[in-house]
Amino acid sequence: MTANILDGIVLGLQFGLLAAGLTLIYGLGGVLNLAHGQVAVTSAMMVAFAIDAGVPGLPAVGLGLLAGGLVGLFLDLTILRPVYRLRGEARVLLSLLLTLGVSFIVDGFLNWRYPMKALTLHIGGGAVEILGVPMRRGSLVASAIALVIFAGLFVFFRFTSLGQAVRSVIEDEEGARLVGIYPKRMLRLILVLSGVLAAVVAVTRSMVTPVNVQSGLSITVFALIVTVVGGLGNVAGALLAGIILGIVNVVAADLIGTYISLIILLGAAAVTILIRPAGLLGVKE
Amino acid sequence: MLEVKEFSAGYQGNDVVHDLGFHVDSGEVVMIIGSNGAGKTTLFRAICGLLSPSSGRVLFDGDDITGMPAERIARLGMRFVSAERHLFPRMTARENLLLGAYPGRPDPETLSIVLDLFPRLTERRGQHAGTMSGGEQQMLAIGRALMSKPRLLVLDEPSTGFAPLLAQATYEALGALRKRGLTVLVAEQQVPLAMAFSDRGYVLENGFIRLQGTSEELAANPGIRSAYLGVT
Repeated sequence: MTANILDGIVLGLQFGLLAAGLTLIYGLGGVLNLAHGQVAVTSAMMVAFAIDAGVPGLPAVGLGLLAGGLVGLFLDLTILRPVYRLRGEARVLLSLLLTLGVSFIVDGFLNWRYPMKALTLHIGGGAVEILGVPMRRGSLVASAIALVIFAGLFVFFRFTSLGQAVRSVIEDEEGARLVGIYPKRMLRLILVLSGVLAAVVAVTRSMVTPVNVQSGLSITVFALIVTVVGGLGNVAGALLAGIILGIVNVVAADLIGTYISLIILLGAAAVTILIRPAGLLGVKE
Repeated sequence: MLEVKEFSAGYQGNDVVHDLGFHVDSGEVVMIIGSNGAGKTTLFRAICGLLSPSSGRVLFDGDDITGMPAERIARLGMRFVSAERHLFPRMTARENLLLGAYPGRPDPETLSIVLDLFPRLTERRGQHAGTMSGGEQQMLAIGRALMSKPRLLVLDEPSTGFAPLLAQATYEALGALRKRGLTVLVAEQQVPLAMAFSDRGYVLENGFIRLQGTSEELAANPGIRSAYLGVT
C-alpha cells in the first residue's frame, strides 16, 4: 500500500503540473485549452529529435521547454484571437472547439509522419529506498522537479508584483484594468507559462514512462479531470486534486486493473463535482 | 486638466448621456449631481475607458484619450473608483493597496499617507478584501487608487452603502487629499456632503446637463434645494 501511495504521489505531481497550466488559462481568460496534451507531446518530440541530432540532454530539454512556451505564444497570437472577442460561455465554447481542432491537427500530423516516435529519458543509478519502498531514481527526480516548480509558482503568485497582477485579473478583470493592468498581456504570459509547464510534464513524465506520439489525448483528459476536481482557476487546487487523483489512479489500477482505473478516476471526479460543484478549492461565482 | 466635449455614450446604440460638455481644472473638486438613473455611472465608465463613447471627445492634460482602454487611461494618472469598487476579493487589503501602484514599485510614503487617511485599513491589512465591510471596501478602493499618486481621481458615489458617519469620514479624508492638491471629479446622490467639499458642480438629469455653477450658486438655487438638499 505504501508503494502504491508513493507511486500515486509521483503521478499526482505530474497531474498537478498539467492541471496548473490549464486552470490558470481558464481562470484568467475563460479559455479551456483542449490541445494542452498536444503541447506536451510536441515538446517531448522536440527533445527527442534534439537528442537524435546529437544535442546533449540538458540543452535538449531546454529546447523542449522553449518549444512548449512558443506553442503557447503561437496559440495566443493566432487561433485564440477570435476567441478573445467573445465573452462568457460563447468564449469557452469557441475555445473548446478551436483547441480541439488544433489537437486533431497535431495528433494527425505526428501520427502520419512519426508514428513510432517516443521520448524516454534515462536517469541513471539504482533504486532509492523511501519509507521502505524502493523507488526508481527517475520517479524521484521527476517529483523533485515538480515540487520545485510548484514552490516557484507559489513564490511567483504570492511575492512578485507580476504574479500579483496575474492573480488580480483572475480575481476581478475590471478592477485590474482600473489599476492599469493589461489583462491581455497577462493572458499571453500565462499561455507561455502553461506551454512551458506542459513541456516540463512531458520531460519529467518521460523519466518514468515513455511519452509517445499518441499520448496527447490522455494527457489532456487527465489534465481536464484534475482541473475540474481542483477548482477552475486555482493552482493549489490543481496540486491537491492531482495528488489525490494520482493516488486513486494507482491504487485502482493495482487493485482492479489499468483499464478500469480511468473509469474510477472519472467516477471520483463526478462525485467531487456533485458534492462541491466549484471543485475542491474552488470558489462559487 | 480634464475636458469633455459634445460627449454621448450608452449601451447597444441607445445613448444614456447626450452631448455633455464640462471641464475639471487642476486642483479643483468638481461634482456631478444627479438622481439614480441620471447617467452618472454611464458617463464615468465612458470617460474612464470601460465603455466606448458614441461621440464626442475627452481630453486629459490636452491629450485625446477618447476611446482608450481603461488600463491605459489608468496609467496616464487618471484613476476611477467605481461604485462597485472592483476590489480583488481573495487578496488581502495590503495586496490590494500595493497593486494600486502597479507596474511601479509601491511608494512607502504614499502608503503611509493612505493608511493615515484610513486607519481602519491598517487594522485590516491582512484580511481578504471580500470579507471586509462595505465601508472598509470603499476606503480600500479609494486607497488603492491613491497608491498610484493619480493626478485626477474620479469617484462614483463614494458614500453609497455607507453609514452616515462613515460617509462623513470618507469626505473628510477626501478633503485632506484636496489640500494636498489632488484634483477630484465626484458623482454623488448624497449632495449635501459632496457640495460642502467641492468647488463647482454640474447637475445631470435624464442624461443632459441641466445646470452648472459654483457650489455656492448651486446651494442657493431653489430647484436644487428642493430636489437634492431636502430643503423646501
